[in-house]
Amino acid sequence: MAFVNVLLTQIVTYTTVYTLASLGVVIAGRTGVFNVAGEGIMLASASAGFLAAFFSGNWLVGFAVGALMGALLGAILIFLHETFLVSQFILGISLVIFGSGISDLLYKLVMGVRLQAPIAPATPDVTIPLLGRIPIVGAFLNHDLIVYLMYVLVGASWWFFYRTKRGLETRAIGENPVAADVVGVPVVRRRYIATIVGSACIGIAGAYLPIVIIETYAPDIAAGRGFMAIGIAIFASWKPQRAFIGGMLFAAIEVISFQLQIVSDQIPFQFFLMLPFVAVLAVMVLFKSRIEFPAAVGKPYSRE
Amino acid sequence: MGDIKRKFARGVLIYGVSIGLSLALVLAVLALLGYDVGRAFTTLFFTSFRSAFGFRETIKKAIPLMFTTYAFTIPFMIKFFNIGGWGQMLFGGTAVTVVSLLLAPVGLPAIVLVPMLLVVGMAAGALPAGVAGWLKARHDINPIISTIMLNFVAFYTVNLAATADRFKDPTAGHPITIPLPAAATLGTWWGIPQSILGAVAAVVFVHLLLERTRLGYEIRAVGYNENAARTYGINFEKTILFTFLLSGALAGLGGTFEVMNIHGKLIEGFAKTSGAQYGILGILTSLVVAGNPLSVPVAAFFMSVLLVGADSLQRVMQVPVEMVFVSQAVIVMSVVVLRTRLSGKGR
Repeated sequence: MAFVNVLLTQIVTYTTVYTLASLGVVIAGRTGVFNVAGEGIMLASASAGFLAAFFSGNWLVGFAVGALMGALLGAILIFLHETFLVSQFILGISLVIFGSGISDLLYKLVMGVRLQAPIAPATPDVTIPLLGRIPIVGAFLNHDLIVYLMYVLVGASWWFFYRTKRGLETRAIGENPVAADVVGVPVVRRRYIATIVGSACIGIAGAYLPIVIIETYAPDIAAGRGFMAIGIAIFASWKPQRAFIGGMLFAAIEVISFQLQIVSDQIPFQFFLMLPFVAVLAVMVLFKSRIEFPAAVGKPYSRE
Repeated sequence: MGDIKRKFARGVLIYGVSIGLSLALVLAVLALLGYDVGRAFTTLFFTSFRSAFGFRETIKKAIPLMFTTYAFTIPFMIKFFNIGGWGQMLFGGTAVTVVSLLLAPVGLPAIVLVPMLLVVGMAAGALPAGVAGWLKARHDINPIISTIMLNFVAFYTVNLAATADRFKDPTAGHPITIPLPAAATLGTWWGIPQSILGAVAAVVFVHLLLERTRLGYEIRAVGYNENAARTYGINFEKTILFTFLLSGALAGLGGTFEVMNIHGKLIEGFAKTSGAQYGILGILTSLVVAGNPLSVPVAAFFMSVLLVGADSLQRVMQVPVEMVFVSQAVIVMSVVVLRTRLSGKGR
């Protein structure tokens, strides 16, 4: 039982990364912006966020800078897309490359070479009284504040998109920007806001890796999770609540395949490391009939 | 004639502004950090041409880069993104290593072994790309996702082969296999890898295929207008599958040459140069030439000039190579923006 609790706690930690990153993709996607730059944003935010946390000695500063870095790259993406109507995919891929370059560059320039790996300042855990002591339930409630932020953001975006008039309008942009524009929804402004807010979420997910999970920075720290977040967003049919379920599923696959790799000596461990990536494709094939896309996602919109 | 002149002027404007912009950015950052800007400039652009060594290094980088650039360019003609050139390269390199090590006791002569390995490498590269093409055609899964996921599968496949008891080099601290049998390797001519012949053959093949065959015509027709092409009876699914198989085979061949001609064994991380994956660099190179397959060899060469310059910049002046990497991404974004702006249409 204790083992299950430990495993579940670890899964929730990784869920935070996957869910925040895919939530960022979902939020932008709802306005028709297909943000494939996630991997680059995560890397750039991981580097900037870690450096900020390390030199300020404050984890909160690290996450704030990580979110800002994400917002900045998101702003570049949406500005170039809206102003010049450049393909979102080309911009996204370019930003992945830009982000992966800038992350190591920034780290090398600011940190230089150190004999000992610099350690991130500790992020304190917050336990919910009583509830936190119940097995299973407690695994969700003994975490740092970013995990709770993830719960709040998932709930808030669900509430916004499905329970408010503005949310309905915003979803309409992703389905049919022309119709949304006709009824007076500020299409371009909403796309800017959604892409920047979404990218900030991805940035927080990126900063979470060096600040909380491995507690130091390493090159290529996102290790493909920014790309998997796109798969999760699609699997989730671009719904925030399902992004949490998808995030949890892939966190579980990552954590469990890591455990199996230690336990199993019959099967080469590389197969377990491949598992999460194959699972993304398998899940997308299996759930194909239930996946819905916002009709206009990925398409540029211009009034002309 | 006026049209060609205008196109040329537009090209000069696009590339001039883009390269100027990113160069200004890099040099400004270097100046701020206190580097000698003039020296950095000449190192970046002229290292390739100042010594035979520099030129050979440039060719060595340009060959695999050309293959991964094709791997992105060909599906991009029908507006699909093959981000998996790197993984397809890894599969090609891994397959030729495994096959040639398994066949080593047989002692096949090079004349039989080399052509066979080239086919094996191309098939192994085509396999994951074909899976991605099939996933798109049959299950409508975006190739951006499938090819990236398969990149990770490819990475662990290399690790699997390079650490397997049967193949691994027990003295190495890093996942590396024992050397390939001599008959499975290629040599050099005055320091230029013999795989240059394969690269030239690939250029001719791709050119003829796209310009002179029905398949090439169909690819261009689908790229130009998918719906019209469908109406005229072109099988869209088949075109997708074919472009992915072709691009995977080319990337696989790139990986094959890296193993057979450059390293002579399988090394984890072999498909990288200047700290970046050949796959990523191929995407950048392809985007710079707007996915025009005819410009690929030239673009790959110039990209390699910059990479050799970047290596030298790091060696001589301790400027991190990522600096050039970032500036290349800036060039790409600038070229793409200017091109969309000047042609007046989004892609």
